[in-house]
Amino acid sequence: MDDSKPTLVLNHVRKSFGDFTAVSDLSLQVRPGRVFGLIGPNGAGKTTTIRMIVNITVPDSGTVELLGQPMTTALQDRIGYLPEERGLYKKMKVGEQLRFFAELKDVTGKEADARIDKWLAKLQLTDWKDKRTKELSKGMQQKIQFITAVIHEPDLLILDEPFSGLDPVNVEVMKDTILELRNANKTIILSTHQMEIAEKLCDDVCMINRSHKVLDGKLREIRRSFSRNAVALQFEGDDGLLNDPELVASMRRVGEDLEVLLGPDVSPQSLLKRLVDSGVVIRKFELVEPTLHDIFIEKVREAA
Amino acid sequence: MKKLFAVVKREYIQRVRTKFFVIATVLGPLLMAAFTVVPALLMGMKSGGPTRVVIVDQTGKVYARVAKELQTGRERPAKRETPRPATQPAVGPGAQQEQLKQAGRMTEASFVVEEARLGDRSLEDVKKDLESRIQRHDIDGYVILPPDLLKDGRPEFRARNAADLFTKETIESAISKATRSQRLVEAGIPEDKVQQASEPVDLKPIGETGQESKGEGSFFFVFGLGLLIYMSTLLYGQVVFGAVIEEKETRIAEILFSSMRSFPLMMGKLIGVSLVALTQMGIWGAAFLAFSAWAAGGSSITLPHVPAMVFVYFGVFFLMGYFIYSTVYAVVGSMVTTTQEGGQLAMPVVLMLVAGFFLSFNIIRSPNSSLAFWASMFPFFAPITMLVRIVTETPPLWQIVLSLVIGFATAIGLIWLASRIYRVGMLMTGKKATIPEVMRWIRQS
Repeated sequence: MDDSKPTLVLNHVRKSFGDFTAVSDLSLQVRPGRVFGLIGPNGAGKTTTIRMIVNITVPDSGTVELLGQPMTTALQDRIGYLPEERGLYKKMKVGEQLRFFAELKDVTGKEADARIDKWLAKLQLTDWKDKRTKELSKGMQQKIQFITAVIHEPDLLILDEPFSGLDPVNVEVMKDTILELRNANKTIILSTHQMEIAEKLCDDVCMINRSHKVLDGKLREIRRSFSRNAVALQFEGDDGLLNDPELVASMRRVGEDLEVLLGPDVSPQSLLKRLVDSGVVIRKFELVEPTLHDIFIEKVREAA
Repeated sequence: MKKLFAVVKREYIQRVRTKFFVIATVLGPLLMAAFTVVPALLMGMKSGGPTRVVIVDQTGKVYARVAKELQTGRERPAKRETPRPATQPAVGPGAQQEQLKQAGRMTEASFVVEEARLGDRSLEDVKKDLESRIQRHDIDGYVILPPDLLKDGRPEFRARNAADLFTKETIESAISKATRSQRLVEAGIPEDKVQQASEPVDLKPIGETGQESKGEGSFFFVFGLGLLIYMSTLLYGQVVFGAVIEEKETRIAEILFSSMRSFPLMMGKLIGVSLVALTQMGIWGAAFLAFSAWAAGGSSITLPHVPAMVFVYFGVFFLMGYFIYSTVYAVVGSMVTTTQEGGQLAMPVVLMLVAGFFLSFNIIRSPNSSLAFWASMFPFFAPITMLVRIVTETPPLWQIVLSLVIGFATAIGLIWLASRIYRVGMLMTGKKATIPEVMRWIRQS
């Protein structure tokens, strides 16, 4: 995938408001057919970054390039944007609302109507087409908002916290839809502070913290490079063995699991063997991959 | 352009379909009428039948004349084919009294007059007697005409309601006329000559074309136009204001700005709402014309004849005022977080509109003064003041054109400036923007 031309390129982008620096020297590349996670805690600069990408604000310095061209108003039509704070006209009927946003993205006439019907059917909202938006539940409004972001079949889809406020069923629907779009070779940026979600959906991630990029790359490679020789255990019996400092560097409880960080020269196999030999009944033995959350915490500590 | 059109279309269709629009369209003219006609009508209306007055004529000579004056309402003999419009609106200091008097005249010929002779009773006894009749609500008042009335005596008037200006005015005038006639007769002038000499002059106001113009009617009309432009500018400014606040509060602005630039967005919004306003006024105009046509067909109501150009001017000047004030409202809306905050911030601007409206009182009376000229060149006043000038005494065309050019140039400048503030303001949340911040936004964007 690395050889494909990036959909979006940010070059040394900076943005500050008065004394406050929201984004400092951010460079990144987003490629088609992949879900790109823009992750970081609240206030890290995610929304400002997105606003620069969709051309709502202009960077103080640096460039934003979409589809190989510097960002312009005309290119806005190639982007679909689901902002974090949802906004719909409360009194408008759902169908009219979608029609309006489609027209804003230059999709008009029968084409617009056809796409609206298609998407409403897909997200099981057809019955609500003639209802006023305010009569819809929050989750439904969210899905309507999602349709406004994809109705013009954008090359780049930016989703800012797309799962907030959705019930578990709708979260699954939304995930499937996102993956479907990815498989159709669209480029998707998923901005979230929920690391678990990013972990499940993203192919690439860029972590930002306090306006700085702390990490950027393919999720799988990042996780491998942060792998820490740890094992998650569940067993019954005497745990005296684990007190051997040569074998176990540290332990902690994670839910039902006992997470064990092995000593420098200990392989998981040797731990397993010694556990079996000691006579405990093993119910779970699993290599632990670091979570994005762990990686993030580590990177932030490093920087500090 | 397509996007601008999409915004225009949305604003227009969504608003015209609302109940608010329908109600405002129906109630608008009624409210207008209520603001101008009803207060005057109420003042002029005399409830409870004719005024019953007893006259004690100590001269023994003038009672018949006074009674005749009071009962026939002779001020304007039956020469006028049409009754005057109900009233004329108040203009400037002292005008209110004028208005009251005029309204009072509507009740003319509503006197019941009775003579009380002294006989052998003293004046005091008669007064006491009359006083008790007033208490019993048997009569509404009495007049004592002193024996030396024809020389310099002052008649006395006692009324239950001393604040009733109309009645006092009418009685005063009746006694004056009666006394004047009696003096003339006593000076040896024959009765018929006196009658002839007393015949009042009926001034016939004519317009440019030499035809009789309904002075009071068009005065009423000018005032109404001023009020209408004032109210609709304010009303539709508020509509724009509300729309902007809605988009800011619901965060729709973020999606809008990710799809289009702020200038066409703002233009689209302003144009869309202006079309709503024009639709409403079109309906009013059509209703007015239909009503005039109906009234012309033999009803007792006379509506002023309105030249077609007035409708055009009205539309143009309304648009000018609308674009100026609504733009300001849009900016204010984008700067604040709540409607209340916005109301305070918009206040100075609204006051300009009010000032323009009040200036028109003066301008109606002297439409070619230099005050009128400058007021109609100043873009914030011009929508009302220039229109008033056009309808009262049409200024040279160059002045009208100049006023329009200044006004629309101001509007475009404001919209340009506003769209820069708008984008930043709409995305800011949590607090009201300060003026220095706004200045920075203008420089930055």
